[in-house]
Amino acid sequence: MEELKLQLKKQIIEALNLLDITPDDIDNAAPLFNEGLGLDSIDALEIVMLLDKNYGIKFADKEQSKLALKSIDTLAQYVTEHRTK
Amino acid sequence: MVSFLRVLERVIKIADNIYSPLGTSTEENFKAVKSGISGLKKYCDMFDSVEPFTASAMPVRMTFRQMCIESATRALQQTDIDPSSDDVIFVFSTTKGEDLRLWEPSVAVARHFGNNNQPIIVSNACISGVNAQIMASRVLKAGLYKTAVVIGCDVLSKFIVSGFQSLKALSADKCLPFDKNRQGLNLGEAAACMVLSTVNGNYESKRWIYEAGSIHNDANHISGPSRTAEGSYRCLADCLKNIDTADLAFISVHGTGTAYNDEMESIALHRVGLDSKPVVALKCYYGHTLGAAGVLETLLSMQAIEHQEIPAALGFKEQGTTYNCMLPTTKTNVKGNSFIKILSGFGGCNAAVRWVLR
Amino acid sequence: MSKISVEISGKECTVNGEKLNCSKTGAEMLMELYCKYVKDYPKFYKMDSLSRLGFIASELVLQKEAELNGTTRFESNESRKIILANNNASLNTDLKYSVTIDKNNYYPSPSLFVYTLPNITTGEIAIRNKYYGESCFLVLENIEQFREVLQTIELESDALVGWVEYNSNSDFNCTMWIEKH
Repeated sequence: MEELKLQLKKQIIEALNLLDITPDDIDNAAPLFNEGLGLDSIDALEIVMLLDKNYGIKFADKEQSKLALKSIDTLAQYVTEHRTK
Repeated sequence: MVSFLRVLERVIKIADNIYSPLGTSTEENFKAVKSGISGLKKYCDMFDSVEPFTASAMPVRMTFRQMCIESATRALQQTDIDPSSDDVIFVFSTTKGEDLRLWEPSVAVARHFGNNNQPIIVSNACISGVNAQIMASRVLKAGLYKTAVVIGCDVLSKFIVSGFQSLKALSADKCLPFDKNRQGLNLGEAAACMVLSTVNGNYESKRWIYEAGSIHNDANHISGPSRTAEGSYRCLADCLKNIDTADLAFISVHGTGTAYNDEMESIALHRVGLDSKPVVALKCYYGHTLGAAGVLETLLSMQAIEHQEIPAALGFKEQGTTYNCMLPTTKTNVKGNSFIKILSGFGGCNAAVRWVLR
Repeated sequence: MSKISVEISGKECTVNGEKLNCSKTGAEMLMELYCKYVKDYPKFYKMDSLSRLGFIASELVLQKEAELNGTTRFESNESRKIILANNNASLNTDLKYSVTIDKNNYYPSPSLFVYTLPNITTGEIAIRNKYYGESCFLVLENIEQFREVLQTIELESDALVGWVEYNSNSDFNCTMWIEKH
């Protein structure tokens, strides 16, 4: 799980060009959006796309992705349960 | 550097054309819209890999160049203007041109008409079509040219459709601008051409005169409109300066059918006190035709004034914005000789023009 | 106020003819300029190449303006216009987005797609500086044509104007200045 969390952080940093941030800067439990990393709605869509590309994850609706994308912790949990690749 | 006298000449519209899935002349297009005919259809396999989408597409695939030439040819036929003259400039409005090139295909269109002047291409996202009218009026008023052939065009492509899908901006079904149940926009393709001139010829007794134009940025976000409509509000306010709004027949809005755009426009209209003016929203007929939208929707607005009748907002049932907008659910009679056309786009840009029939 | 002009190419950057000290070239030089002269705007990292080029140039112009006027960097100038132009629009980013919609590897990138419009660069500068004035992007043959077109724009207020062309990470150029009529 810890390995997956680190991998997710690296993928997010790369996909969103967060060049001033290292995986260590991202707290596993902290919210990814708004007050946390300060990501916006386009970033959310980019992460959804990244999850599809790397883990074969397809969200049924917006609510589902919202819950999964709360933090690195929730994301890793979701990926573990739903990955198809 | 060109030196010139800043002459206060009037810019008038002397000819026009709409080349779209709903017809190949402006009149045909207005007739279709008046009859409630929409070009929107569901497409499942127009482009590989792309999920099914609803759009307004030409019956056959055409290139940007072909569409521009078809439209401009028909518009120019209505005039005695020689398009190859040094006094004529071509002004384009497009976001994606042809094969991701804007300059080369636009030059090719100008050359097709024998015109050797460097064209001006406005690529200011979704406001390009109104912006191009403003740019054309400026170069004409500055006396650099006597006639401007303004062409707005974008064609559907895998690039555009996939991109809007990736932003989750598309409605699977027909778009419902300003409606409570709106789910997003539809894309469309068209070319529209407007010949503007400072030359006084014997064309018609009444003429469309370009009265005002304005562009403002929201300075807020690159892909979402201002929550307080900063840019659109300023554009509308500029167009309303020193005029009596009694003569204003309606506002032709952008009305994309996305949650944020329509909400923003309702706020802009409220802020300038135009809540009670009828609103014309045309995306339910054409989808969002991107670079063509500003020219196409301006021309149809002119038709609406000439026929004193505005088209219905197809499918509109329940108001879904903070401030009510007067969208007609059936075609409705209007009075007045002027209208304002507004648009907004990515990059936070907003534009408005006011035209008067006099 | 004396005239301000910033020129950036893949090889060097000058402010009013004075060359800035850079150890790197190309896209890396833009990053170096950001780290040296801007520092506090992490949104820069998310911008596409064309926006980065236009943004850095605008920062250098506006810093110089503040210096020459003896004012602070973010002097309120709500109605200032931003008018940019080039010849190939957003082609560099368009090609990057195109890679993400390949038939055999179809994962369209929303964050790349939003930058497939050249006028996003004007938007980035407007947001940074709270400029509510006109913003416009033109595609023209060259900077000479741009200067000619600029003469027709009535500037009741001044405008930040620039030619911003990004061909590749080593081949780009930008000339930006403040235009007053």
